[in-house]
Amino acid sequence: MIELLDPTIEVATQTIAFVDRPASLEGKRVGLIENTKFNSDRLLAKIGEILKAEYGAADWKLFHKHNASVPAHDEIIAEIRKTCDVMVAGIGD
Amino acid sequence: MSATLTSKRHTVHDLGDAIEFCFAQGWTDGLPVVPPTTDRVGRMLEGAGLDPKQEIGFVAHRAVSITAEKVAINAVMAGCKPEFMPVVVAAVEGIADPRWSYHGPGTSTAGAGVLMIVNGPIAGDLDVNAGDNLFGPGWRANLTIGRAVRLVMRNVCGSMPGTLDRGTLGHPGKLSYVIAENEAESPWTPLHVERGFRADQSTVTVMAAEAPHQFYNQLSNTAEGVLTTLCDDMRISGNVMGQPHYALVLAGEHMRTITGDGWDKKRIRQFVWEHTQNSHAHLKRTGRMAGPIQPGDETKLRPLVASPDDIFVIAAGGRAGAFSAYIPGWSSSRSSQAVTKEVRR
Repeated sequence: MIELLDPTIEVATQTIAFVDRPASLEGKRVGLIENTKFNSDRLLAKIGEILKAEYGAADWKLFHKHNASVPAHDEIIAEIRKTCDVMVAGIGD
Repeated sequence: MSATLTSKRHTVHDLGDAIEFCFAQGWTDGLPVVPPTTDRVGRMLEGAGLDPKQEIGFVAHRAVSITAEKVAINAVMAGCKPEFMPVVVAAVEGIADPRWSYHGPGTSTAGAGVLMIVNGPIAGDLDVNAGDNLFGPGWRANLTIGRAVRLVMRNVCGSMPGTLDRGTLGHPGKLSYVIAENEAESPWTPLHVERGFRADQSTVTVMAAEAPHQFYNQLSNTAEGVLTTLCDDMRISGNVMGQPHYALVLAGEHMRTITGDGWDKKRIRQFVWEHTQNSHAHLKRTGRMAGPIQPGDETKLRPLVASPDDIFVIAAGGRAGAFSAYIPGWSSSRSSQAVTKEVRR
């Protein structure tokens, strides 16, 4: 018999607390994070307008990452916490 | 040593079962691996004098701590000898460095490999190839050190092809992409010395990189002639709109021709930087730069990289043949920077 060691990462399970999704976007301030890829700002602006016009969002605001390959930086996360009720994050290319 | 290894253990019947078991678990790059037994992993750790719990790197983007034990297991699987382990460790330190910025090159559709350039005495000690068939095949150190790093990326950092690693095309260097600089025959300052190390230190430089592009000039007997061909090939290559670096790999014949004219690496870099610039008009006409052509765009030039210093010149490749290569870096300078780490033995 041969015993092998597992090459993969073994992490302890942890619980992440998510905020409940709002039942409606009515009157909510929406934050949108733009990843600097071509036209991502235009696409998100369009989405922001749809959220206002069709879902009753109060307003939307665009936040810009430093670039597509890095996580959102602390400054914009802090700003979103202060100025938004809801945020939309995604990945696109 | 074995008592301190804490990784989960799996029991299989024999060697053949072990190889198939590793495939079945999704631990391999598509080729068979050496079964990572306790004895082999212990010897691998001893090769670098490391405690298994020691953290080699922390990839903040992935919230992953890469321990010596996991590096050693993957190095065994890749086929490394224990004496290769210090190079693997230095390379893993490099890709976990915030300047290398793991998340981009570890996942991007643009398909970066990890080009590893080994400098200093360790290259000769480990027989890391700097000559014929530079990019392979044929040399165990070149093929297994890079493979070990890629297995760490897969098994520890989660860069699984098709899921987190979304390379549209990838390239063969994603299996292993290790070269040494031919310091024995080069008249030039070695890369690691240019990057702040002493000649007697051993280092590995990690650069997120596309595949090598070979070029050919058998006619010129001047530095300017050879490099003019290089520049003409290189001018439109890679991402064009903003690589962080290029690596130039100048092989024996071209190296001798260029040095015959007395050119050093600095002069090579300056010439190549000046002669690989594109007009904004050309970049717009060919769909590389956004927007309509504006007055002045025909004469407004954009360099391939921000500074001549972003071009790494490396003496490597076989003595015979009028071929050399250039390697575009991945993405942009905002996204990933090459990093050089000392190999500690």
